[in-house]
Amino acid sequence: MGSCLRATAVTFALLAMLTVGCRVQHASDDHAKQQIFYQASLGDPRTFNPILSTDQSSDDAFSDVFDSIVRINELTTLPEPGLAESWDIAADQKVITFHLRHGVKWFDGAPFTSHDVAFTMQVMYDQQVPNSLRSILTIDGKPIEVTTPDDYTVVMRLPRPFAPLLYSIGAPIIPAHVLEPIYHAGHFNQAWNINTPPRDLIGLGPFIMTLYVQSQLLQYVPNPHFWMHDENGAALPRLHGQTTLIVSDLNAAYLKFLAGQLDVYTPRPEEVVSLKERARELNITVASNGIDTGELFFSFNRNPTHYVVNGHRDPRLDWFSDLNFLRAMAHAIDKQGMINLCFHGLAVPAYGTISPANKLFYDPHLTDYEYDLKTSAALLEAGGYHMVGGVRVDPHGNPIVFNLMTNTGVPVRDEMCAMFKQDLATLGIKVNYRPLEFTTMVEKLDSNFDWDCVLIGFGGGGVEPNNGANVLRSSGQLHIWYPNQKTPATPWEAEIDKLLEEGTAEMDVQKRVPYYWRIQEILHDQLPIMETVRQLRFTAYRNTLKNFQPTVWGVYHREYIAFTPD
Amino acid sequence: MARFLIRRILNMIPLLIGITFLSFLVMSMVPGNFLSNLKMNPAISPQLIKEMEAQFGLNQPLLVRYWKWLWAVLHLNLGTSLAFNVSVTSLIGSRAVNTIILSAASMLFAWAIAIPIGIVVAVNQNSIWDRILSFVAFFGMSVPNFFLAFLVMYFAMKVNSPYLPVGGTYSVDYAQLDWMSQIGDRINHLILPVFVLGIAGMASLMRLMRSQILEIKNSDFVRTARAKGLSERVVIYKHVLRNALNPFVTMAGYGLADLLGGAALVEAVMNLQGLGLLLLNAVRSLDIYLVMGSVLMGAVLLLLGNLLADIALVMVDPRVDFSSMDSQ
Repeated sequence: MGSCLRATAVTFALLAMLTVGCRVQHASDDHAKQQIFYQASLGDPRTFNPILSTDQSSDDAFSDVFDSIVRINELTTLPEPGLAESWDIAADQKVITFHLRHGVKWFDGAPFTSHDVAFTMQVMYDQQVPNSLRSILTIDGKPIEVTTPDDYTVVMRLPRPFAPLLYSIGAPIIPAHVLEPIYHAGHFNQAWNINTPPRDLIGLGPFIMTLYVQSQLLQYVPNPHFWMHDENGAALPRLHGQTTLIVSDLNAAYLKFLAGQLDVYTPRPEEVVSLKERARELNITVASNGIDTGELFFSFNRNPTHYVVNGHRDPRLDWFSDLNFLRAMAHAIDKQGMINLCFHGLAVPAYGTISPANKLFYDPHLTDYEYDLKTSAALLEAGGYHMVGGVRVDPHGNPIVFNLMTNTGVPVRDEMCAMFKQDLATLGIKVNYRPLEFTTMVEKLDSNFDWDCVLIGFGGGGVEPNNGANVLRSSGQLHIWYPNQKTPATPWEAEIDKLLEEGTAEMDVQKRVPYYWRIQEILHDQLPIMETVRQLRFTAYRNTLKNFQPTVWGVYHREYIAFTPD
Repeated sequence: MARFLIRRILNMIPLLIGITFLSFLVMSMVPGNFLSNLKMNPAISPQLIKEMEAQFGLNQPLLVRYWKWLWAVLHLNLGTSLAFNVSVTSLIGSRAVNTIILSAASMLFAWAIAIPIGIVVAVNQNSIWDRILSFVAFFGMSVPNFFLAFLVMYFAMKVNSPYLPVGGTYSVDYAQLDWMSQIGDRINHLILPVFVLGIAGMASLMRLMRSQILEIKNSDFVRTARAKGLSERVVIYKHVLRNALNPFVTMAGYGLADLLGGAALVEAVMNLQGLGLLLLNAVRSLDIYLVMGSVLMGAVLLLLGNLLADIALVMVDPRVDFSSMDSQ
């Protein structure tokens, strides 16, 4: 018996030895002293090839490694010089000449020339290279003709004047001297994937990627050749390094920010209040960036391919294209209730398809469909939708019942749908609400059109309103209430198509504005989409950070960020 | 023995085809595909979706796609991940090593503690030690893994010891450490997850050991051994223990398959760079070849584990031989 206990004791001792931690000499973790900036990213990058990327995690991973000829100023939302120090637009507005900076060097020391720009454009236009940049740089189905008269001049000839060009041309430039041989060998689609050693990524941006550990982190050191200098001629970027911790969810990032492992965090509404209360204790600032750039809206299906089968017309199609019905629905959206309940008060009602954050193109004249169920009921009565025994019926006596869907995994959308459903119930309308897995919802919107009403959000496509053309144009795939129309189904959809055409042909920004105001007005009046609310965005960051100016469009002049030495 | 091996290995082929085809079918029957996530992005043109569909072969019929996949697998090529555009082998490989290190360490931990304790409590049945340790074992069995993971992470955060990092596989400055410190850093990061995974495994193993010994302790041949005048030590170690081992051999075989998938939840909670999170995301984004690669690996390991367990059983138990297994 004693021996048995002895054996146990020996085993325990062995295990204790094994499980005692090892002393590891770590470097100092004082970010300010090291001048290393720590941020978080949600999920792993999928590629390091800036042309092939179609997801945010990848874009975030290499956004500081590459640079573009034109940048968008985050404060003014206007294009400003990047690798091109200036550009001239010819009188006919069809030829743009970019003058590139001299003396700019790639990470490996090779000079940056106009050939790199031409090569980048050539790759984007190649049908064998699937990329999301090509469609925004294709004008009426034709590519832009690129010529390079000398090493520092790029001439772009457009088929017609095309204003979005300056906003769309900000694609990352890739090095011809590295990637051209790979491209000609037919291996471009495999080049610079996540197994590529990060040091092999040759860019022009402020930071060089030095390390990538899957699901753990990305590390960067400053690019000593970076072309930008501050007003005193000192080298930029000012930081000595940058680390991105890859986290699987926002809760993990929040904990790391509280523990001081991250220097910046984008809090969710419920976290903003608590962070503000603890700002002094944590030595942080919670800055308001402004209104979200995207939109979150309800839309009703108007697609006859779903509702008209064998000559039989489903009454739902009549309701969903009846303005009385749609206005009644718009007045039944309790925006203020949603703001208070779902966003802790940190949101604003949305009126138009373009966010107020887009100072240039936002239409300030739109009015709200005020939340008032009495108005809704009156509008329904006027449209011939009467209450019969507690149930709202249409002029032909059909009870009004429809399905509502949104994607699972976003609690806020779930709550918003529940509120909408409840309000409609008091109007005698029955809503069958079902949240769906994202891919299932997409299948319905995109392929079988088997849906009635959806709550869906689109991210902001940037400042350029033409980036939303795929949603606005009647032939667009994302024109969700009735996609892929051969000819516009209604006069107002035809008008939007025309406005989109004319709005891109005018190069002067101020002269473009009225076209996009008119589009917002039409959508507001015809109600194919019913805007709900827009979240207010915040960024929390350490007080030791200097020159840190977050906006909804990104951090302004990131190159200037530094820590104050204590 | 050779006959037995050949037969078992031949049997695996239809099984593997069945398992993989069913998984392929289920993945394909889910509405939408990997590209559905891109379709709602206004920046992605429908033409790009079509080009990518053609590039990945997603527009082909199910049987054609399955056949192409199977054909590639026969050439030891698990295909290309749709999301990451690199070979599935390279994606799974690097992470599988981490998962196997973690699972193997926690298995070792569990077995090394559970078996001696199981013996002690069985020999001293109904003593105070038996009660205390059995209570601990039931506790370990009933607390869910992921919850225990949260608890120990909270503990580590409060203690804030350099030896107990809160989650992760490496420290942030891992690349800058010398190799000795790198190993130390990895070990430090393993302590908590190994503890969490080990506790649950340990509890059930200990209960099994205890009941096995109790059952055999009272059998006739043990009484005979005692009657022969053998010392208690010889009776327990030579006679009782040897006979109690059979179920453990089988369990070790199943454990082989568990090496890859058993830690998924804890990996997700503790942010460990293993297969768990990768596969969870792969299933959610319908990255079909990545999922298939791991299903195949899991299935092969399970079948191999079973085979190895059967062979080991023949070796430790003279009552079992290959011919009797063959006829089953």
